[in-house]
Amino acid sequence: MSSAGRLRVTVLGAAGTTIQRTAAGRQGFPPAGRGELVIEQPAGPDEAGLSLRRFEVVTHGWRFEVVVEPAARAELREKAARAADSHSSQADVTLRAQIPGRVVRLWVSEGEQVEQGQRLLAVEAMKMENEVRAPHGGVVRGLRVTLEQTVERGDELLRIG
Amino acid sequence: MTTRAASSPGVSLRKDSARRGAPFARVLIANRGEIALRIIRACHELGSEAVAVYSDADAQSLHVRAADEAVRIGPASPTASYLRVDAIVAAALKSGAQAVHPGYGFLSERAELAEACQEAGLVFVGPDPAALRGLGDKLAARATASAAGVPVVPGTLEPLRLEQDGSPPPAVLEDAERIGWPLLVKAAGGGGGRGMRRVESARALPEAVASAAREASAAFGDATVYLERYVEGARHVEVQLLGDARGTIVALGERDCSVQRRHQKLVEEAPAPGLSEEQRVRLHELAVRVARGAGLSNAATAEFLLSPAGDFWFLEVNARLQVEHGVTELVADVDLVHEQLWLAAGQPLGAQVLAAAERAARPERHAIEVRLSAEDPANDFGPAPGTINRWRAPAGPAVRVDAGVELGSRVSADYDPLLAKLMVVGHDRPAALARLARALAEFEIGGIQTTLPFHRWLVGQPDFATGEGLATDLVDRLWHPRELVSRASLRAAELAALAASASPAVYPRPAVPGGGQADDAAARWWQQGISEALEDRR
Repeated sequence: MSSAGRLRVTVLGAAGTTIQRTAAGRQGFPPAGRGELVIEQPAGPDEAGLSLRRFEVVTHGWRFEVVVEPAARAELREKAARAADSHSSQADVTLRAQIPGRVVRLWVSEGEQVEQGQRLLAVEAMKMENEVRAPHGGVVRGLRVTLEQTVERGDELLRIG
Repeated sequence: MTTRAASSPGVSLRKDSARRGAPFARVLIANRGEIALRIIRACHELGSEAVAVYSDADAQSLHVRAADEAVRIGPASPTASYLRVDAIVAAALKSGAQAVHPGYGFLSERAELAEACQEAGLVFVGPDPAALRGLGDKLAARATASAAGVPVVPGTLEPLRLEQDGSPPPAVLEDAERIGWPLLVKAAGGGGGRGMRRVESARALPEAVASAAREASAAFGDATVYLERYVEGARHVEVQLLGDARGTIVALGERDCSVQRRHQKLVEEAPAPGLSEEQRVRLHELAVRVARGAGLSNAATAEFLLSPAGDFWFLEVNARLQVEHGVTELVADVDLVHEQLWLAAGQPLGAQVLAAAERAARPERHAIEVRLSAEDPANDFGPAPGTINRWRAPAGPAVRVDAGVELGSRVSADYDPLLAKLMVVGHDRPAALARLARALAEFEIGGIQTTLPFHRWLVGQPDFATGEGLATDLVDRLWHPRELVSRASLRAAELAALAASASPAVYPRPAVPGGGQADDAAARWWQQGISEALEDRR
């Protein structure tokens, strides 16, 4: 059981509540009772590889979305974010395709300076365009794709440095 | 028919024997959601075919599939579909329907639809256009009631005359002082709380009058407003009425709808708790008097305030089937939609209805309805649209669920947020309350926030459970859900942690080269099994 370890639980719910708590896993909690629902949801497109899991939980009629991840992982991530903040420089980030599809838009080129949230490119799948945006400001490095190119899930698209 | 049969009260075999076959071969239902389904069911029970209408947003919905035929009437926006008189009439003619049932809301009280039906040779299931016109104007309805000797809530009986700039002249202020503070500014064409303002003092009156008039003009195309006393601690009670073409009008008992939020009813029950038989007889008699004065036929409801002193004050008439008609059905043992269709087909009130009216002041059962809506009760009952990913409605003895949705339904922000009405009946109020608590505990809804937590809280509140705190301000007074939400969110965290750690072999899921996670079907199957085991543990 120790393999599961401590968990970081973030509850997003009714009336904009957000609570975070670190739980010891299954110990001491009564199981789901009458009228309580726990439904696992697919992870979001940006969360692949982050080993977090999403649940919809309904209890006493209140509906919440709950994100669970290993506490150690969450602490590492927060530490990294703090470090990044304090140095005001961001580490290189490699962006990968979250879905298989075709590159239908390419708004940036190699060496271009981009701002956080700026649109970089779009991958089309199932007649839906999925935009990839810059997670933070930086310079586009190692652009691996061209327009109309087909990509598989997990393929490297570009790096922001 | 023998003399003896004719003289026995309200019972005549000949009347009901005319009810052979179906009242109409085909009926078009000009509505959507749970009420469309409710009316389709009645049609099928009577041997009539039902024709549904739908907007693009509702093409896959329950009411469309339940009907014998469905006609598209336009895009999602109500003004482009369910509110279009021409589209409804054209759909009825095209589908070969003989009658149009408007349900509630949308066009149900528009004289224009009733008139258009008449002109097209269709039967409108409801009062005639003149009665609809008379009652649609609240000021006219107040005048009608007053003329029939029915006490109306103290206030003005004439439209407020405003200055050129929209401000109230001194005479209006005099009226206001006579009525007393606080008071309500109300729109003559209003409904659902729109065009209504509560005013605490003379200083706030000009602005309230101006803004109510603006809102009424925008919402109803009529800026006429009037003043009414705000009765503190009042209850909302209403009387179910049925009338036939011969002018016979009966009351089938009353309902209490005091549990409201922003003038929207949340819970309704029949009979109104705590009334004496004498009070009931008087209330029913007042309602019948208003209906007679207004020339009402088919089904309608007269609404009253019950003051803490025990006085009934007439509010308005809703000349249509009400959302909450089911609680009356459960207590009176009458199917109101069946009756509406027979009455529209020209039949007189049936023996069963007359017998139910005889018993109405001495009810022997108690029924309660709660409205399950896609609203967030922690967020001022604001809209909470989405897709339903779990739907398990309660069942068992004496439980009725009229739902317009199912698993997978998309609850659109275009329409009323009502999902389902949960009704229970028992031999008395405590029995009905116990049954309601049990049924609410069984209800499972996932994917959207609903008013379920509010209702679960309400059944445990002494003010509601004893009936002694029933008043239109009960919800504002007692509903402060912050504490409930925070306790529930802690429980949600526990449940998610439990579910996550119950499958340690696949948690954390191994990362694969190139990003993403192992797509291991076996692992997912196992997780699913764990989740279901958690859910099913009772």
